[in-house]
Amino acid sequence: MSILRKQLENPSSEEPVNCCGSPDHTIHRRRFLEGALASGALSTMSWSGLFSVPAFAEEVKRSQKRCILLWLCGGPSQFETWDPKPGTETGGPFGSIPTAIPGVHVSELMPRCASILDKLAVVRSMKTNQQEHFQAISLLNRGDNPRPPFTRPTLGSVLGQQLGQLDSPIPNFILLDPCPEGNEFKGFKAGNWAGWLGAEYAPVRVGGEFKIEDVDRLPGISEADHEEREALRRFLSKKFENETKSAAASSYNAVYERVKGLMSCAHLFDLDRLPAKDRERYGPGTFGQHALLARSLVEEGAPFVMVANGMPWDTHVFNHEVYQMVVPDLDNIVYQLVTDLEERGMAENTLLVVMGEFGRTPWINVKRGRDHYPNAWSLAMAGCGIQPGAVVGATDALGIDVVDRAVNEKNLFATIYQALGIDPYAEYDLPNLPTFHRVEERAEPIAEVLA
Amino acid sequence: MKLETTKTIELPTTVHDVSLAANEDSMLWAACLDGGIHGVSLDSGDHFLLGRHRRYASGVHALPDGETVISAGYDGRLHWHDVKSRTCFREIQAHRFWSWQSALSPNGKWIASSTGQYLCGGYKYEPAPESEPSVKVYSTHTGDLVAAWSHVPPVQSVTFSRDGRYVAAGNLMGEVRVWEVESGKLQAQWATGDFTGWGIIKGHYYTGGVFSLAFGPGDDWIYLIGMGSTRDPAAGNGKQLWQAYRWRDGEVQKVSEAAGSDTGQGLMETLAFHPTDAWFLMAGRLESGQWNVGAFDRASGALQSSADFKGRICRALFLPGDEDERFLLAGGVSQGGPKEGRKFRDFGRIWLGTAGFKGDGAD
Repeated sequence: MSILRKQLENPSSEEPVNCCGSPDHTIHRRRFLEGALASGALSTMSWSGLFSVPAFAEEVKRSQKRCILLWLCGGPSQFETWDPKPGTETGGPFGSIPTAIPGVHVSELMPRCASILDKLAVVRSMKTNQQEHFQAISLLNRGDNPRPPFTRPTLGSVLGQQLGQLDSPIPNFILLDPCPEGNEFKGFKAGNWAGWLGAEYAPVRVGGEFKIEDVDRLPGISEADHEEREALRRFLSKKFENETKSAAASSYNAVYERVKGLMSCAHLFDLDRLPAKDRERYGPGTFGQHALLARSLVEEGAPFVMVANGMPWDTHVFNHEVYQMVVPDLDNIVYQLVTDLEERGMAENTLLVVMGEFGRTPWINVKRGRDHYPNAWSLAMAGCGIQPGAVVGATDALGIDVVDRAVNEKNLFATIYQALGIDPYAEYDLPNLPTFHRVEERAEPIAEVLA
Repeated sequence: MKLETTKTIELPTTVHDVSLAANEDSMLWAACLDGGIHGVSLDSGDHFLLGRHRRYASGVHALPDGETVISAGYDGRLHWHDVKSRTCFREIQAHRFWSWQSALSPNGKWIASSTGQYLCGGYKYEPAPESEPSVKVYSTHTGDLVAAWSHVPPVQSVTFSRDGRYVAAGNLMGEVRVWEVESGKLQAQWATGDFTGWGIIKGHYYTGGVFSLAFGPGDDWIYLIGMGSTRDPAAGNGKQLWQAYRWRDGEVQKVSEAAGSDTGQGLMETLAFHPTDAWFLMAGRLESGQWNVGAFDRASGALQSSADFKGRICRALFLPGDEDERFLLAGGVSQGGPKEGRKFRDFGRIWLGTAGFKGDGAD
């Protein structure tokens, strides 16, 4: 067996490819690539490989489970969305309207969602225990409270791992968010999303001023030449990673893989390629445009796309003055997404989750605002594995407490995993770490929400 | 000059607007967050319900006849109340969205109301164009529509000139339009970005705007009230702000404004001229700084006196009588969580106060 072949099959082999750096010993990149392709050792299953047979590629895309999270960061008011209390001391200035489900009302700011509520599932009895943004963002993204020094991966990282392909050109976890700031969300965004799963499951962030830059191949380098260089880089880096057992090298390699993927799919992130009629339907704001982009990306094979828009739902000031705008925007976006997923045959395999990190207080503060409220809040889901028309739980007449079917983040995450066909209670394979499960304590999924 | 509280009256919910009752001493009408139009005795603090809107009540106006009160609400409606029978004898659906603010002409002949929902109209969440006229004027006698004008929603403030000939209205984006009522013609139009914030920190959308307007002596200047730009729409920490504009003769010019050294941070919602016009009160909410009620010398624009009344003030006015330094502030405090038995505290407030001097201006 040639040294090359041995190296390809066992990158940790002691026999070097190039010991001293002399050009004489340098493997010619073209020969290296030929060898690699011949052996198949470098090529695990990838989207680019699968999609070389168009019909098969389309079928794989259709059957793949995926998820879009509309992340309403800041904490949306349940009163002005899914759990209105019109005419009460806590109800605020907006009324409620009937929906497609007899006897169920939502805020008058959501006429479009009202018309398709029989296609959504609404949970009105979320009861969590974190009142501050950073902790609550973490809780509702990771599904559990922190246990330092261990970092639980976020929902996007877990779904990226479970539903995606490691060497997919499209990132397995995409975060669309145009706001560079965002206080606590900014802090969270700068942190460790992937936790113990590793950097390869961290999100690729796009949106607004966050563009995929510098991913064009240099004009002086042919595609074949670029592939050869990349294959050699991958081989050598993997060897180094294996020999040194370096986490840093592993992360470095993960980034390279991601960049390579992005080079081939950067065009998919271009809003301008989307049909003008679709862009008009989703509304002109960044949230709508990115929701449309999310739909397009999951169509193209992205397993998880999180659409955020800063923290506009954090309305300590001007709650009603802001919600008169952001809720109709959300209403239209959810309507368009649910309708599109259904019309495009994607609803069965695409889960849509619409939530923030908590709700808002029943009472109004002196700044015309509502403050943070984790005690009783609402969220909505639709699509893959979800029971259409389910309305779960209830709050009291003033929306102060949950009076029926209180559920928490663990129940929610168990529901999401189960809806997507992922074992909620699987144990992570984490050598030298304590035992962790996707959902701890075997918390039950919200059965009424599951189809 | 020293601004001091002389009496505090509590009402169930925040008071958005007040109007002194005609022909009745020590009596006013209050438009409240619970939709109620309440009659309030300034002597005893007792109150009764005159009528109710289905949503927040935003404006209330006692007609000079002493028999009629007109109210406006977030239900977009105008109600005509008969004071004696305590019945509503006329209702008009003036707007499809809120009546943000309403104003009575000085002679009581017309009532103006402004509306408009802030809806996403662009990539940066610029307001979408109006879907109905944003400013309407009705006859208080017949309820007939007198005028309907276009603006860019949401139009949060509206007022009549002192001579009753003109109506001015300001919006979220700091744009002001002035019309002549009789001719219906637009007389002036300008915009200032000083009252509007675009959220950089928490969300990309617009907040703030012109929350109140007032014509100065001779109607030559228009004062705008609100809050300076803020980067974080969830903070409410823009500068406490008034600006005065000369608007006649086709040329609009900013002529005066609150000095930064005089002001703190927080939304200002109301401005009231002292009967002598020598000074005016600006009031609202304090976010940081020293005061939520400031008395400004009209000629110099300088702050003369200030106080923190510990709450949100939606409306300021001066009380008639010999002691012309008496003023009234209406608003509220935080609703707060419920107490025993799920009852919320009364969080509406009317503060009676005095400027601590008689006469023609600053001491």
